[in-house]
Amino acid sequence: MQPTSSMKEEFLQKWQMGLQIYRPLIDNTSVSERMKAIKLSADVAMASLRRGTTCWSRALIQKTATEDNFLVRQMLSGIKAETLINKKLPKVMCHRKIVRRSKKILRRRKSRSAIEEVAAKARKLVNKKTQGLRNVVPGGEFMSNDVLLIQETLDYIVSLQTQVNVMRSIVDAAEAGSER
Amino acid sequence: MLEGLVSPENLSLSYADMSVPERLKWLQQHQQQEVLSLSSNDSPDLLQILQFHGSNNDELLQSTFSHFQMVGSGFGTNYNMGFGHSHEAMDGCISRTSSCQIHPPDTMGVMLKNSEENRAISLKNKRKSEVKTREEEKTEKKIKVEAETESNISNKEASSDTSKETSKGASQIQKLDYIHVRARRGEATDRHSLAERARREKISKKMKYLQDLVPGCNTVTGKAGVLDEIINYVQSLQRQVEFLSMKLAVINPELELGVEDLSVKQFQAAYFTNFPVVIASKPSVMVDVPLFPLDQQGSLNLSVSNPNQTSIDAPSESWETQSQSLFASVLR
Repeated sequence: MQPTSSMKEEFLQKWQMGLQIYRPLIDNTSVSERMKAIKLSADVAMASLRRGTTCWSRALIQKTATEDNFLVRQMLSGIKAETLINKKLPKVMCHRKIVRRSKKILRRRKSRSAIEEVAAKARKLVNKKTQGLRNVVPGGEFMSNDVLLIQETLDYIVSLQTQVNVMRSIVDAAEAGSER
Repeated sequence: MLEGLVSPENLSLSYADMSVPERLKWLQQHQQQEVLSLSSNDSPDLLQILQFHGSNNDELLQSTFSHFQMVGSGFGTNYNMGFGHSHEAMDGCISRTSSCQIHPPDTMGVMLKNSEENRAISLKNKRKSEVKTREEEKTEKKIKVEAETESNISNKEASSDTSKETSKGASQIQKLDYIHVRARRGEATDRHSLAERARREKISKKMKYLQDLVPGCNTVTGKAGVLDEIINYVQSLQRQVEFLSMKLAVINPELELGVEDLSVKQFQAAYFTNFPVVIASKPSVMVDVPLFPLDQQGSLNLSVSNPNQTSIDAPSESWETQSQSLFASVLR
């Protein structure tokens, strides 16, 4: 599924709305502040495209809410904002160290045939990678289910692509304009 | 694709008319028929018979295996395999069953409820048909009527409870969608492994989608490699977002994107198609970053008052006129 033009339009609209909120507030001379404004409003815009249906979007909104609560409240209309911000973090953040330790205790010596060892190593590698994926995808820590994780990743990638496409075209337009 | 199937709604009606014990009898009879026909076929490999309650049982006689099929509401459009198509496939695959035994075959249906809101819940329906008819041992678990309804969600809790029960005749009829899983030769057929296998197949299907989405994933085989590529891709996308936002911040001190929706559409359609978001492009772009603050800021200050007024080259005149008027209104 590639980013559609309707998605891009919607993203652009929401992003502009977010930037408009920011405009009177920020100090125009600081690049870092402007960058933060741009990035945060872009993130919230991207997440709000999904209207709270996906786990990563909720996690992303909550993350930006910790940085700038006001922006998030303004950008998301009314009810949705309240529910999304105040919602408690879902499920349990399993403490991986504790889980790992308990697993080690439970693990007894199994028959170590060569095939099994290889399979076990492959499985460990895959688990490491999925853990890495969890770290990258927002809200991945709360997805204990692998299927859910992959679904969310899929959606997240598409949204990221939309975001990057729109931003890039804006930047190119602005650059082309400034060259004149 | 589902033409081969009897429509679930019709069946549900007819099912609903019969009472529960009648239904049991009907199913038993059908099982007997199947088993007898199978044994007469003299194929010792045949062990797994799927009780696909919702389907046309004549077809079931031919296709005697549980196979991966999702009936019901669309959860991923690629899943559907109609019964009609699968005849030939089934016959060709008849040799693949679990280990051959002379004893009465185990009939096993793996029903996985499927709905868009819920993830798959495996509900096993284990039935020993010959045992029932010959030895009259009744270990049947739940009977499911499959039909496509919207009450899946409400039934979720009920079904997850009753899936553990071993109720006999008085089992409730649940309206659920099922995914049928093929039990392969040499693999365990108890409920846990079947559920695991179904889950694994789901995951691998999703990974295939991901492989299509992420560029450059086709060459890599194996889950770990694909996951690696995905992680790299996502990280690079995130970095690109940061970089682009920094670039925008530098170029555009007003924080004014300066475009309206209509014009954006034209603009994008005219100029920019979907940029292939390639990882390779990233390193070259990153090099510019340290130069930016030094280079652009000085020169940009001069042009900052005029960047949006000057016409951005566009093929369509309407864009030009629109943009000019827009920018004019914005900046003044």
